[in-house]
Amino acid sequence: MSCTEREKLFGYAHRLLDPREEHEVRAHLESCPTCRAAAEEYRKLDTLLEAWTPLEPSPSFDARVREAVERSGASRSVFGLFGLPGLRWMAPALVTVLVVVASVAVLHVRHGRRAAHAPAQASSMPAAPAADALSAPPTGAMGGEEELNLYQNLAVLEDYDLLAEFDLLSELPKGETKVEN
Amino acid sequence: MDQDLDLMLRVRAGDSASFEELLRRYRVPLVSYFRRMLRDPALAEDLAQEAFLRVYKARARYRPDARFTTWLYRIATNLALNAIRDRKEISPAGDGESSDGEAELLPVVDSKPTVEQLLIESHRVRLIRDAIQALPENQRAAVILHKYQELDYGQIAKILGVSVSAVKSLFFRAYESLRVRLEPLLKGGLI
Repeated sequence: MSCTEREKLFGYAHRLLDPREEHEVRAHLESCPTCRAAAEEYRKLDTLLEAWTPLEPSPSFDARVREAVERSGASRSVFGLFGLPGLRWMAPALVTVLVVVASVAVLHVRHGRRAAHAPAQASSMPAAPAADALSAPPTGAMGGEEELNLYQNLAVLEDYDLLAEFDLLSELPKGETKVEN
Repeated sequence: MDQDLDLMLRVRAGDSASFEELLRRYRVPLVSYFRRMLRDPALAEDLAQEAFLRVYKARARYRPDARFTTWLYRIATNLALNAIRDRKEISPAGDGESSDGEAELLPVVDSKPTVEQLLIESHRVRLIRDAIQALPENQRAAVILHKYQELDYGQIAKILGVSVSAVKSLFFRAYESLRVRLEPLLKGGLI
């Protein structure tokens, strides 16, 4: 028997054929004991496979699912990503990158302000070495506010423990959420 | 509306009792699915847990544009196929050994069987399991999803990302392999 014919027998046994094909196969089976036996074998195989009945989960399964779901629900914020096993290792690296970016931003702001003031100062004082320029105190009202904001952000970004516990802190009563500076 | 779909929409709206109901409905089918797809029962349970977790995490993005079971088993099948590929699970056929505990393979039976019946049942189930787990992964998934999880060909096609005719072909080829591997049982009257 060819493979195509076997596929038809399989289709017949599993009711996969269209009515015309089904009628053809049925007519053939009436006169062909070999094909009838083959079609019967597919039905027997179906019955045999049913012996592998559903398998019960272990007793702790439901509790483990609930625990996993609760853990997932407790980390709704962006920082909750660190709770995923695959991302946990990325947390220190990400914090480091944020700190570096913030530091570069501070330097950039300072450099820009110094460049803006340089022409005015050039006539009254000699040029300062670069290192002195970077450590010079901020001047000008707007620059001071921006720098203050950046420093404040920097403090938060550096505090990884604060980030890791971010959700927990947010769920405490208001009186207990104050962070000592 | 599909009752599961309705439950999932309630989960999306924040109803945790509906998630509990989905867990109650699908804990046995999902664990059974993974244990049939994989040889390692501990891994199977871990993946079933992960599948439930992914359902929960994806609740906000859930769109009722397909049957719930199609969505659920697509998540489950992706997890199972990835695990099989990652672990490079090899066919257990022919070695007669199993990493599973035999007690875990025995289904729960209603009446009290004799020791002999238990041994025959255990042997038969082991042969069936080995034959199915020896199938190529897509054929295995097609057979298990249709035969045991009772999904139709259209659903299986969506889950595996193939056409319905490709699913029928997978199913036929799987049955041809199973027919050969399980011939002793088919001919020996152990059914």
